[in-house]
Amino acid sequence: MAYPYEHPRETRVLSKYFGDEDAIGIDGWIERGGYKALAKALGMAQDAVTEVVKDSGLRGRGGAGFPAGLKWSFMPKDGKLPNYLACNADESEPGTFKDRELMRWTPHQVIEGIIIASYAIRAQHAYIYIRGEFVDIVRVLNGAVVEAYERGYLGENILGSGYGLDLTVHAGAGAYIAGEETGLLNSLEGRRAEPRVKPPFPAQRGAFGMPTTVNNVETLASVPGIVENGADWYRQWGTEKSPGTKLFSCCGHLQRPGNYEVPLDFNLKELVYDLCGGPPEGRELLGVIPGGSSVPILTADEIDCDVSYEGIEAAGSFLGSGGLIAMDDSTCMVRAVRRMVEFYDHESCGQCTPCREGTSWLAKILRRIERGEGREEDIPLLLDIGANMAGKTICPLSDSAAVPVVSSIQKFEDEYMGHIRDGGCTAKR
Amino acid sequence: MSDAMHPAIAGAQPSQRAEKRPEAPLFEGAYQDRFEKILTRYPDKRAALLPVLHLAQEVRGWVSPQTIRRVGELLDLTPAYVRSVASFYTMFNLRPVGKYLIQVCVGIGCDLCRAEEVAEKFLELTRTRIGETSEDGKYTVIEVECLGACAFPTVVQVNDKVYENVKAEEVEGLLKELD
Amino acid sequence: MDNDRKLINVTIDGIEVSVPEGKTILEAAERLGIVIPRYCYHPALSAPAQCRMCLVEVEGAPKPLPSCVQQVQDGMVVSTDCAEARKARRGVIEFLLLNHPLDCPICDAAGQCMLQDYAHETGQLRRRAVEPTVVLGRDHVTSEIVYFADRCILCTRCVRFMEEIAEEPVLQVIQRGHKGYIDTMTDELFEHPFSMNIVDVCPVGALVNEDFLFKARSWDLDQTASICPGCSQGCNVLLGTKEQRVVRLKPRPNPEVNSHWMCDYGRREVVRWGAGIRAEVPMVRESDRLVAIDWSRALDALVEALSEASGGAKAIVSPGASNESLFTLRSLMERVGFEGGYFHVTTGSEQVLKGFPKLALREDRAANARGAELLGFERVDYVYGALLGHRGVVFVLEEALDGAPEDFGEGVELFIYIGSHLSPAAGKADIVLPCPIWAEMEGTFTNFEDRVQRFNQALRPPGLARPIWLSFSVALARLGAGEPFTSVAAAFGALAEELGVYSGLSYERIGLNGATTAAAGSAAAARR
Ligand SMILES: Cc1cc2nc3c(=O)[nH]c(=O)nc-3n(C[C@H](O)[C@H](O)[C@H](O)COP(=O)(O)O)c2cc1C
Ligand code: SF4
Ligand code: SF4
Ligand code: SF4
Ligand code: FES
Ligand code: FES
Repeated sequence: MAYPYEHPRETRVLSKYFGDEDAIGIDGWIERGGYKALAKALGMAQDAVTEVVKDSGLRGRGGAGFPAGLKWSFMPKDGKLPNYLACNADESEPGTFKDRELMRWTPHQVIEGIIIASYAIRAQHAYIYIRGEFVDIVRVLNGAVVEAYERGYLGENILGSGYGLDLTVHAGAGAYIAGEETGLLNSLEGRRAEPRVKPPFPAQRGAFGMPTTVNNVETLASVPGIVENGADWYRQWGTEKSPGTKLFSCCGHLQRPGNYEVPLDFNLKELVYDLCGGPPEGRELLGVIPGGSSVPILTADEIDCDVSYEGIEAAGSFLGSGGLIAMDDSTCMVRAVRRMVEFYDHESCGQCTPCREGTSWLAKILRRIERGEGREEDIPLLLDIGANMAGKTICPLSDSAAVPVVSSIQKFEDEYMGHIRDGGCTAKR
Repeated sequence: MSDAMHPAIAGAQPSQRAEKRPEAPLFEGAYQDRFEKILTRYPDKRAALLPVLHLAQEVRGWVSPQTIRRVGELLDLTPAYVRSVASFYTMFNLRPVGKYLIQVCVGIGCDLCRAEEVAEKFLELTRTRIGETSEDGKYTVIEVECLGACAFPTVVQVNDKVYENVKAEEVEGLLKELD
Repeated sequence: MDNDRKLINVTIDGIEVSVPEGKTILEAAERLGIVIPRYCYHPALSAPAQCRMCLVEVEGAPKPLPSCVQQVQDGMVVSTDCAEARKARRGVIEFLLLNHPLDCPICDAAGQCMLQDYAHETGQLRRRAVEPTVVLGRDHVTSEIVYFADRCILCTRCVRFMEEIAEEPVLQVIQRGHKGYIDTMTDELFEHPFSMNIVDVCPVGALVNEDFLFKARSWDLDQTASICPGCSQGCNVLLGTKEQRVVRLKPRPNPEVNSHWMCDYGRREVVRWGAGIRAEVPMVRESDRLVAIDWSRALDALVEALSEASGGAKAIVSPGASNESLFTLRSLMERVGFEGGYFHVTTGSEQVLKGFPKLALREDRAANARGAELLGFERVDYVYGALLGHRGVVFVLEEALDGAPEDFGEGVELFIYIGSHLSPAAGKADIVLPCPIWAEMEGTFTNFEDRVQRFNQALRPPGLARPIWLSFSVALARLGAGEPFTSVAAAFGALAEELGVYSGLSYERIGLNGATTAAAGSAAAARR
């Protein structure tokens, strides 16, 4: 059974076993070739593992796209301080639900990736920081971690290699900002998940003041395949700058919403229309947010690009987390933007003045426009508030909150003007 | 909860239970065991704060001022500090909640697919307002941000159970199923 | 040490400056007299870089950078005043004013509010927000300090003071984002011997000492650099005075003594010192009555009585009297033979400020016990015991004589009382001389670790009260011992010349920041 939909045009590498109940448990996973990559990695020098990942060109799937192998190479090798790995499973960006499926169907794929990465960066303890709301996913993951301990993939002297690793599952408690890597570290330490000022970077001073690597679930899940099959195998997909395959979480106004895995040179428009089936019967596509609510919206005619980091950037947005939100012509753009901004308002940690105050001000203005009490001068005001929020804070959440506002005004100003002129919404929602 | 929980996962099973014991001691029996196992997984006590608050909420149903003080005592943290951290995270109920905590996702993915109708239906049928507990103490309905399952709108979580693709017409049946 | 660090060159607003490596842009700019606006930054606390007020442009950087944490790098070119930096600042101010009540006319911080200052500076006049401001309440956080939530800009200075300096994280940010506010544990007030520093660090009027609330507008206060006389620590303070009264004390930064802090006891205690019935005129005994006379005749009487005295002199002094007063008193006593001077120190429990342990509310609740000791006065538990059986001359300097035996002052040859208040015990004196309290004069105290510090005159003394170093130096001149001191500096100079421990010090060298005696200096060097 595929989950929820499968499409022949997909390239299922990470998601090969989605929907396969038997792949969840450790026996089923081993039958499917699991933990072979780990055995191979443990037979290699630590830095050789890092090299393979570097050569593969794997880029972080948490949103920023930072090369994973390069990040690992920043970790100190002298063993003077304990190193840590944190797997970022806080997945809370609206429109993103790929890590959830990875953990739900293939928890051992994620755990294997964590063990290999920990070995490469010389960590003795790894944490999976999973968002607390994922109650059912936590249950699956917990079961898998216990199995991995029981089979000797975790704990002391893994597979007789002399290398030992502890893995702890740590549940968050409801805070999107705990997904920002330094917010995550603070949260892991039992603090408010407030992002830290950088530098120092986590590789210098991370969890508990020690060198730490933070990687996204999907990034780590990609590691076993790369280690087992080599960098060239991985580079058979995607582009020079964006090798490999990636999961796209597709939601909103689509006939077949769900996760689809495609190579990174796949066409975005085809992803929307072929794989997801396009908008519901009788509807036209209005716009697409390709990478989670933090990236600019593209109009329906801007999506004929490939889904690589550079392809989407050239089209005017970002790949981000790969959370695709489709909106058809029944969408009230002001309402949609208001909802996204309210999310950031709700999730701002509140340290930085522009973010704390700006998000709630934007939300108030958007609610007012939606109610039909907008003024023409609200448009330049919204843009100027956005400018005062962007690039001026500790972490990019402030920028993210401004993005939907600014990009929707750039591309759908008529929607705003309509509300202002007509005293409210006329969309046939 | 298994009696011999592996320490690796002792701190990671957030659970909102229908049955709440607001006066129960923190901690005893299997919970004491879990508490101690949590402490072994971090280099300091502060780091155990989130897992221990989850554990306390699982036992008592909410994070009361007494709970905050007790957790502070257990982890050598001031009550004000514990309160500050607890209030940062939305999953800690700083007020008592009903037997069923109904969380309706109104994130952008669900909102595009009429999540508000689902939320309204829940409010109507439970005769409550957002965040308030029904008179019989059974239901508390809250709106939450994206629950990370946007392909299946509307996503609703009731205590520990996630319901996907909930339509307004199905709310009544869902509520019946709870009892 | 700054000196050991490499110097690097940066250009700020077109001016080049050399600063030690590791300094922040904000600190480097201060060397040029450029004060970059800031809220969350406080020199004695960690820098969370969260208010975003101090953003500056750095050539080559893609975004404006927070100058409070950004360290200077060689060749860096910084602009604090370009269009981009100004816009960022205006933006922050606008954000902060969105929900700010702008109740300046009734706000306790008006006149010393950093929001008011910068709002004017950035010319934020036209309000662009049409949404109504959020109105929040007020609440006590200690029995004396009130928190006004809607004035708070969430800079967390108060939180960091309690966390890092008091080392008791009892004041915290509750909730998050725009719902955030500062509070203690639910329904609890906190207590801490240094709590009132949170009022000082608050850059706006969100934390207010209730006692001071509405008492005076801060611009109405005169400020004078002084030393807290509450204990032997000698915190450097600013005295806020109004209409001949000390209204409040605020810490004056001194990294060697009190950093930016002072204790609550000091603030509460010493503002009361001027109260009560004051001694305002000199008096001499005529048969069984004390009659008021002028200074000239009072000194005549003093000189005459001392010339005729046959026995030696003993004294009871206050450990809060200044070095100069004690020194001239001692010199005067020596004219008839110094037989001993005694003082008693009121003590209390020591309270160390954990995050800056150099500072403690000391056990000795007096400013100059050490100074008195160095001048040969003796600390005793029971001062009256030391005077038992003494038949010669008795001086009492600034001691209220509470608890003196009934017959104190009887049966002695001459009893001279010098005090700021009319004490019943003074009734038996032959001569009563009015003197100022510390706030009404200038001089020096020597603190518990032999640091000599100057305090300045903030108030006019009442009536004819006059510092003792002045009146006694006139008396000494009349007795043939040199010229009267024309200034307190001269008095200290004479003291330093006579007393080896103070050698090398002058009133000028002590300056605003104080100086340690040679012995204390070398002891400190040895410890290092
Ligand atoms: C506001 C904010 C929220 C974020 N949330 C997540 C998240 O939920 N999951 C995630 O993997 N990365 C998230 N990130 C990105 C992380 O900061 C970090 O870049 C990532 O975990 C690094 O892993 P990667 O290199 O494997 O992508 C977020 C970043 C920001 C600024
Ligand atoms: S930008 Fe927003 S979320 Fe990020 S640190 Fe600042 S206030 Fe917190
Ligand atoms: S009360 Fe004052 S010092 Fe404390 S956070 Fe608010 S503004 Fe800052
Ligand atoms: S510590 Fe001593 S000198 Fe400092 S303020 Fe308190 S009483 Fe005054
Ligand atoms: S928006 Fe509802 S689950 Fe993501
Ligand atoms: S003073 Fe630099 S950010 Fe607040």
